[in-house]
Amino acid sequence: MLKLIILITIIITINAKEPISPIPLGIDYDEEKALLGKRLFFDVILSKDKSVSCLSCHNVYDGGADSRDVSLGFENREGNIQSPTVLNARYNFAQFWNGRAENLKEQADGPLNNPNEHNMNPTLVEKRVNNSILYKKDFKKVFHINYIKYEYILDAIVEFEKALTTPNSRFDRYLRSEIKLNKDEKKGYKLFKDYGCITCHNGVNVGGNSFQKIGTFIAYNANVKYPDRSQVTHNEMDKNVFKVPTLRNITKTAPYFHDASAKDLKTALHVMAEHNLGIIMKDEDIEHIIKFLESLNGELPTILDED
Amino acid sequence: MQKNFTQKYKEFLININNLENSYADIINLVLKNSVYVYINQDDIALANKTIKINYKNLQNSKILLEDSYSDIKDNINYLNGCIDKDLQNIELFLRVNASIKNSLLFLSRHIEDSKILQKNDQDELLKARIILKRFNDTKRLQDLAYLNDKDYLLYTNSTDKDVINYIKAFNLHSTFLIKNYPIFINITKKIIQNKAIHQRIHIIKKEFTEVSLHDFKALDKFATILFTLFFFSFLTIIILLIKYQKENMKLQYSYTYDQLTNLYNRRKFELDIENNNKFDKPFLIIININDFRYINDIYGNDTGNILLKDFSKFIGEKIKIFNEKSIVYRLGGDEFGIIFENIIKDRVVDITNKLEQIITSNNFTINSVNIDLNVNISINNVKPILENADLALKQAKRSSISNICVFDEKQHLKQNVQENMQMVKTIKDALAEDRIIPFFQPIVNLQTSKIEKYEALVRLRLKNGEILPPFKFLEIAQKSSQYHNITKVMIEKTIQTARKYPQYRFSINFSMQDILDKKITTTLFELLDENKDTDAKIDIELLESEQLDDMQIVKLFIDKVHTYGSYILVDDFGTGYSNFSYFSELAIDIVKIDGSIVKEIVTSKRKFHMLKSIKEFANGMDMKTVSEFVESRDIALKLKSIGATYAQGYYFSQPLEQPLDDANVTI
Repeated sequence: MLKLIILITIIITINAKEPISPIPLGIDYDEEKALLGKRLFFDVILSKDKSVSCLSCHNVYDGGADSRDVSLGFENREGNIQSPTVLNARYNFAQFWNGRAENLKEQADGPLNNPNEHNMNPTLVEKRVNNSILYKKDFKKVFHINYIKYEYILDAIVEFEKALTTPNSRFDRYLRSEIKLNKDEKKGYKLFKDYGCITCHNGVNVGGNSFQKIGTFIAYNANVKYPDRSQVTHNEMDKNVFKVPTLRNITKTAPYFHDASAKDLKTALHVMAEHNLGIIMKDEDIEHIIKFLESLNGELPTILDED
Repeated sequence: MQKNFTQKYKEFLININNLENSYADIINLVLKNSVYVYINQDDIALANKTIKINYKNLQNSKILLEDSYSDIKDNINYLNGCIDKDLQNIELFLRVNASIKNSLLFLSRHIEDSKILQKNDQDELLKARIILKRFNDTKRLQDLAYLNDKDYLLYTNSTDKDVINYIKAFNLHSTFLIKNYPIFINITKKIIQNKAIHQRIHIIKKEFTEVSLHDFKALDKFATILFTLFFFSFLTIIILLIKYQKENMKLQYSYTYDQLTNLYNRRKFELDIENNNKFDKPFLIIININDFRYINDIYGNDTGNILLKDFSKFIGEKIKIFNEKSIVYRLGGDEFGIIFENIIKDRVVDITNKLEQIITSNNFTINSVNIDLNVNISINNVKPILENADLALKQAKRSSISNICVFDEKQHLKQNVQENMQMVKTIKDALAEDRIIPFFQPIVNLQTSKIEKYEALVRLRLKNGEILPPFKFLEIAQKSSQYHNITKVMIEKTIQTARKYPQYRFSINFSMQDILDKKITTTLFELLDENKDTDAKIDIELLESEQLDDMQIVKLFIDKVHTYGSYILVDDFGTGYSNFSYFSELAIDIVKIDGSIVKEIVTSKRKFHMLKSIKEFANGMDMKTVSEFVESRDIALKLKSIGATYAQGYYFSQPLEQPLDDANVTI
């Protein structure tokens, strides 16, 4: 009891600020550059057999991720992990499930050159883009260049991705004291904190700012090989460690987890509670938490309405 | 050229200071992350990036392109490894920290939600609190030594599924914490105590100053001006350092002071105690507010918090009256410690007595609610000072005589505690497995040579069959919640035996404290009511004790017993606290004459006369006597010759598992 009082005192007096912060409004990006990036993002010429674009696996109109367990790339080859959302990716502290890219630019370089995905190389990318009169004209306008180098292509895509934020969710508006949460959402948020979900899912992206092991409490499919953090650090302790994913727009990004093992949020919450918190969560609590998670769905990025 | 050099020089200093500051930043954030429960980790993710950027900037400082700075460049490259290692440690720290926070959070919530356990097992609940406290202390003090006790699991004999699940969940998390604490503490220490980066930066700065000073001299013309610039840069470093010092001071405050009461906290206390020179012959008193838990439950935590604040202030003011050198600490939720220096024991005891009086007579008014406080206080100056004071405090809580206890090494309190804990478990097991049993010792009518009564005596049969006499376990049982159950079992089994042997009467022992305990008397009368066929056969033996506060309650009890047709016996008369005045007030039927007299009536004239006069006194009061400890035929015959009614002792029989079928005895 007394520990709890001390705990509460600490929480109330010192850390009165909520551990989740709203997505900034009026983000700054170069609109012309971003629109150029948008065209590249949608363009199948960036894959070897012209079958896939970035959009194929990152449906920015609905959650920014892939509803398939693994994405299909060049010649329908299967990816090795569930596609994470590109929405609000600029607020992640590192990119990819295992954080092997420090920023969006390093990330974009990945799938383009991956033989199972776009199966391209920088020279081929340059060649394809430089062949287009339209691209040449626009790149000249934006970058003041005559020859489009690979770097500039990545730069444009990154600018578009920077524009992919989903502000004004109900929860963000609640954080800015513009609206009140309804009873279910409020209860869900409280449970989200009480159970300790918030320990890892916090910050502007409600996640995406730390690495965590899946199965801290009870081991989770430890034998299955996915590109986890240990592939970056070469440290045994980082087995099954992944970037904590963002929970923004989470209701739209099923299936869940790196292995797509949870097909719906309810399952995902059960697994998380059991494996990472060591508790059995009641269905009733899960429903409330899902209500809270729904309140994290934001507005579609405005850049999607522009050409 | 000179201008160019100055610019490069400034750039380097700025870069290295930025790196040092960002490193201080991240350590600061690590501390915050370990202290606060809910925290936005974006900050630490950003700090991580900033370090990397600042390092890269330092590496790219233009001045390093010059030959004379190649050693410094090597040093900077070496720094990279240190930083990488530290950032990796921080990544691991964040991971373990999250799980540990969650499990601690779970345990706090779990204990709060302990309705299931509260009903069934107060002891385990207490233990759960202690375990959680230990985990919290260990985390706060970053010292694994606080986990030295291996006993971090709860047990239950209950078959209630809720209780089992409750305990299972608790154990799951405490096991998890035990496993992960070493990793957590080690990694935290590694990060916070790592001086490698600071030292390396310090070396780089020193070398840089030397090399650049040399360059300055070469630039003779501008030397003075440049040196001034250098001096200013140095000043900025100092200003930045002061800024971080302040930050750290704030954090330090929370490590030294209790946030609620602004008194020194337990951590500070422990630091002070460890520091041998800090106190000159210290005396510690611990003040514990009785039943503070209930104050919280009844009035709410807000009121509880205000009360703690007021109480702290109150103590702080009142302690000044005594004009002794003292420091007040908040040692735990409702526990306050005061250290006195250079003081004699009598003076501390005197102060403590007065302090208790001041506290109990004060009226604490919070939100227009009046709250009276009772406290237990322990006094100790024997090392280890806190542990011994804690033991004495427990003693004070147990004692019904005084709320103040001075630690006394002779009491071997510490060893007692462990043995007692073991015994409590033994008692619990015995109750659960029906191994608390009555033995029956016959009471013989000397004039008719017939057994008329049996005294029921409690025994505990160990798993190996060994029989424990009451002095080995009853006192401990009295202090635990099991005592009531033992009494109940004794009454039930004695009633059953009385039904089986209708030719005898049976007596059960009750202490005066039992009679004052409403729960026990209610149980007795309920059982008598439920067994109308035997109720008149059950007598009550009262054990005399020092203190009999409420004669009225005892009187009422005796009257009620008489309504069943039962008798009242007074045990151990003629020794200890025997008090004739009882007899004027209380309607007692039989007096048991203490063995210390009976044993010696053959050999000691004085004892014989004592016995005779007790017997005559009893006759005059219309009471019968039972002579205890009749161990030989001589004694039995002598008793018979003076017309004593009853006798009991090994000469006739030791206590038996079952009464004898044949009531006849030969004397």
